[in-house]
Amino acid sequence: MNLRLVTAIARKEIQSLRSEKTIILAILLQFFIAMFSSFLMVGLSAMYDPSVYGRFTGVQYGIGFVGNDSILFDLFSRDPSFIPYRMDPGVALGALKERQLAAVVWPSETPAESEDPVTITLYTISNDIQSTVIEVKIKEILLEYEDILRDIRRDRLDFRPVTVTPSRPVAQNSFYEFIYGLLIPMLLFMPAIISAGLVIDLITEEYQEQTLDTLRSTPATLEDIICGKILACILIIPVQVALWLALLMANGIRIAMLAEIVLHVFFTSTALILIAATIAVMYRDRTKAQFIFSTAVIIVLLLLLAFPSNPVNLIVLLAVGGAPAYHWAVLIASIASCALLIVLIKNVMRRVEYF
Amino acid sequence: MEALSQLFTIALWEIKRFQGTMSRDLLPVAIVLLVLLGGVSSFTAQKGIHLQDGIYRIGVDSPVYLDIIGSDPRYLVYPLPSDVTNIRSLGLDLAIRAGLLLRANGEKGAAAQKSFEHDYQAYLDSIYRQQTDLFAAYPVWIDSRYIISELDFLATQSGQQVAAPRQASENPPLPKTIETDLVPPSEIDLTEMEKLRVQLEEEAARGTDQLGRYTDLLSQQEALGKLKIPSMLSPPLPFDTIIFIFVFIFPLYFTSQFFMMSIMNERTLRQGEALIASPVRPVVLILGKMLPYACGMILIVIAILFTVKADVLAILPLIPVILFFLSFALFIGMVSRSYKELSFISIFFSTIATSYLFFPSIFANVHIVSLLSPVTLVVHVIDGTGYSLTDYIYSTALFYLTSIILFGVCVRNFHEEQLFTEKGLFDTMALYLGALISHRYWYLSLIIIAMMTIPFVFMAQMMYLTLFFNLPMPYSLILIMVLAALTEELVKSAGFVGIITNRYPPLTWKCVLLSSLLIGFGFLVGEKLLLVVTISQIVDSIFGAALFLSFGLIWIPFLLHAGTVCCTGVILKRWGMRALPVGIIIATALHTLYNLYVLRGWVW
Repeated sequence: MNLRLVTAIARKEIQSLRSEKTIILAILLQFFIAMFSSFLMVGLSAMYDPSVYGRFTGVQYGIGFVGNDSILFDLFSRDPSFIPYRMDPGVALGALKERQLAAVVWPSETPAESEDPVTITLYTISNDIQSTVIEVKIKEILLEYEDILRDIRRDRLDFRPVTVTPSRPVAQNSFYEFIYGLLIPMLLFMPAIISAGLVIDLITEEYQEQTLDTLRSTPATLEDIICGKILACILIIPVQVALWLALLMANGIRIAMLAEIVLHVFFTSTALILIAATIAVMYRDRTKAQFIFSTAVIIVLLLLLAFPSNPVNLIVLLAVGGAPAYHWAVLIASIASCALLIVLIKNVMRRVEYF
Repeated sequence: MEALSQLFTIALWEIKRFQGTMSRDLLPVAIVLLVLLGGVSSFTAQKGIHLQDGIYRIGVDSPVYLDIIGSDPRYLVYPLPSDVTNIRSLGLDLAIRAGLLLRANGEKGAAAQKSFEHDYQAYLDSIYRQQTDLFAAYPVWIDSRYIISELDFLATQSGQQVAAPRQASENPPLPKTIETDLVPPSEIDLTEMEKLRVQLEEEAARGTDQLGRYTDLLSQQEALGKLKIPSMLSPPLPFDTIIFIFVFIFPLYFTSQFFMMSIMNERTLRQGEALIASPVRPVVLILGKMLPYACGMILIVIAILFTVKADVLAILPLIPVILFFLSFALFIGMVSRSYKELSFISIFFSTIATSYLFFPSIFANVHIVSLLSPVTLVVHVIDGTGYSLTDYIYSTALFYLTSIILFGVCVRNFHEEQLFTEKGLFDTMALYLGALISHRYWYLSLIIIAMMTIPFVFMAQMMYLTLFFNLPMPYSLILIMVLAALTEELVKSAGFVGIITNRYPPLTWKCVLLSSLLIGFGFLVGEKLLLVVTISQIVDSIFGAALFLSFGLIWIPFLLHAGTVCCTGVILKRWGMRALPVGIIIATALHTLYNLYVLRGWVW
């Protein structure tokens, strides 16, 4: 293998990526997804945590209350976000339909200590963000009501659960688990998937456009050419990963142990790129190679995820700052699998060289 | 008749060609891979997905609490020394001491507590479910009903606030009409206890089993009938709709990739030259090549619907999606110069298309914005709500129109010069636009180009609407306004780009002026036509006003559209094609200023 030729080919590929502006598309894509994830945050937190709508605090919702249940009525009137009115069912539903009320609550006339449960019909307006917000608030009151009734009927329980009381309440919702447990690993492996797809394109293109023969008439061997292409794809990984990490940090997401994360992503991605390159060399046709590769990637990923302490899990742990020391062993294992894959692709190349 | 037989011949060839690529060396490998895939997915389903293992550390002072944590792999459990006050110093996120839950400060501690509370609720439920007297453990059952209010979108958004509730007054409101159709809450008695217990258990099993939750979701067996206990009363989790996207959209997207490659292969080494030289019209060629893939996609969708036992009616909203994917596959296959360009453009396109389909649909059952996505209709069919014809038109019209227009453009450009050009993406697109300008009736071409960009503009603007709809009010409006203006100016410049690449008519000052008027006219007519047909619901709200300028006398928007595109035209005439971005920016600035002026009452 001639190192000068390999780097020359890698340089050419990176330059053509730059001049074709395709890499710019990839970066645009990253921005686009980053934008969407922030949208997801805002949209979903608004749905699940009413306090996100700052202006809603202080607003009191009118609730139509039908029937004579006094415990539930008191719970509603004690809550600062609601004003319950005792109403006739027809009037209450009419007012709800005209949006003069936020919801109508209609409990059955079952006494608190009865054998039978209390049933409540809860009417809200369909197709409306507002009723989602209100439903979340009403749910809290109903849970409180459930606790009160359960306490009244306490003696009828066979056994009690262990009690754990939080020392202080926790804010309604945080996206900690979503961000660290799903978004970060997903985003960090995007570059790997992109680069692996790229290496297939670069290799099959030489075959299908029949430019490989011309290239082979230079001093470069098949091995030099393929290695150069692989190198180009590997080299753009740290760049893309760094961009992601920068984007995440710009969004105020703190990531611990950056260097280790980059190392893990780098070697796992390298393994994926090598698999892709092997498939491309074997099939020499983009449609076939991409099809085999995408199926293979799903298999490998699913298999990896089935085991604890897989690289993806370790990236999550590294990002939150609590990774066990054996993550170095996993890193060494991924480096070893890269080495194995290099041996494999060399063999494949030797076999197909003059076909 | 002859065209039809030609069409079938081409389709047959395409199937043969596809079989050729998929045969011999690929088929055995593909079968092995599929078998592996099946095996691995059931293996992973059994072992569970280990993604967030050990993310939290919890200290406990007694083994009783292990019942609560159970087998949740997210926790690493440590014994808690009795004399510790600062749990952070031990590296713990949570600690339970004598029944009191302590947490470390910061985001992670809060998230850990949140997850723990969720587990604790599941533990409580499992204890309560086993009680002999279920109605002592669960004394409250809720039947939630939704009232359809005719006000919907307009009422909530034509006001200043997105979903502003009315501040309740001291006295109960008096409605104009009194409802007469009343059903008092149904009583539950002891005979139903065991049935409800089984339902609760099913519901609990659904929550813990990761994959089971989604398979159930697809077949929509609402485990809990109509009655719910308070802790299960929550709006439907929107992440679930992402599963629909995966199940329906990804197979369709992959199949359209094969079509894309087939078109691309005709272009590598000019292989398709013979095909183009044949006496078959381009439209027949394209449709013939497309037919097998379209049929394949429809079969895939039917197969999926059949497996999840959904109504076959759900296929109707997916047909425009299939057309949309195919038309973009055709376009991308025709314009990209190399495989890597093909990959990048198609990844880029698929992300945007998937987002367009996905993001509105997470609001299914919540908001009318959700109807922008045909996938919402599929969700509605599966959960049994169904959809009306208006809903169908509303959510699919843009997909149909954009696909048909894109097909038209591609058919018109399916010639040697455009197919085998070595130009870059933007130059190729300019070339395509140039080919749309007729030499004799160039003025008519300009109007038509302006009109046919409208569905694309609408699509982009719908996207902005879903994206920024949830931001606080002034920002959402301003962002939508600027982006809408930018998109409109961008597509209006298409006519000028076409004239310049076509080199006829020569771009004189007179021509700039006349073209501006024609483009402005075409744009306005197209806009009004489509507005009437489809999205009148959004148009009347303040967001609609920001997007479509549907107010005032007709000549004001006409002058605005003509005037701003004239700016672009003048800059193009003076400094050439390179100045196009500058022209668009200036036109956008003017356009935004005008919008701001009109909407000033809303913004400040």
